[in-house]
Amino acid sequence: MGVSSSIPKRSRRRLPSPITCAWLTLLALSVASAMLTLMPIPSKLLGGGILILALAKSRIILAQYLDLATSPPWLRGFTMVLTGFAVVIFGLFLI
Amino acid sequence: MSDTSLIDELPGELLMWVLIISELLVFGAGMIAFMGVRLTDPAGFAEAQSHLHRTGAAFNTAVLVTSGYLAAQALHWRQAARRGAARLALIGAALLGVVFLIIKGTEYADKAAQGIGFETHPFFLFYYLLTGFHAAHVLAGVGILLLVAWRDDARNIEAGAQFWHMVDLVWIMLFPVIYLLG
Repeated sequence: MGVSSSIPKRSRRRLPSPITCAWLTLLALSVASAMLTLMPIPSKLLGGGILILALAKSRIILAQYLDLATSPPWLRGFTMVLTGFAVVIFGLFLI
Repeated sequence: MSDTSLIDELPGELLMWVLIISELLVFGAGMIAFMGVRLTDPAGFAEAQSHLHRTGAAFNTAVLVTSGYLAAQALHWRQAARRGAARLALIGAALLGVVFLIIKGTEYADKAAQGIGFETHPFFLFYYLLTGFHAAHVLAGVGILLLVAWRDDARNIEAGAQFWHMVDLVWIMLFPVIYLLG
């Protein structure tokens, strides 16, 4: 009897690839952004939430679509620059 | 001492990364300028922004991230020697790019019908410049995706997909700044 046949069927199911997980997460975050704009919350809080979600989406695109997950120093660098950019945008939004 | 430099760690062609960083800087500067000019007339910017189609733009975000997914899968499939699947994925990604452009075109046509142009308000000057420049990149990206679907060497597909992901990344930041931060 082969080893694989002793594994329960459910655990042998293939997990989605990292790219598929990234895509599903991006769609979920996009829906979350849309939902956020419908909620009765102060505009400053809303702006911060929207930018945080945009940053999260950007990082997923960099890590999975652009494959920077294979190069953590570059992923960190891009994330830091994008975070700095979002902070500047948020600062200008708050003024 | 390591034999490989940090530069060698970048996936794909170095020149493509130079292009990606350059484009991000150009769009980033445009968005910062937009937010800076907004300070001169926040109420006017908010009023102008209320004329935009947020739902259509949000739908376009889903269209682009799905297109990016197909482009990323195309590279994966080409590397696994599944040329047919890779080509179909690239064509699908390009078609979604066309869908993005049709929605964007409808949005522009609606603005034109309302008599809204570059000179209506500084908001719309930035709106047309930034989203129009981005749409030009989408158009170029559609051509590149179709080109690499035809000349489907894995390195070509990787470069084409990277360009497309850059277009995606720019939109992810452009959408909240132009459409949502009122």
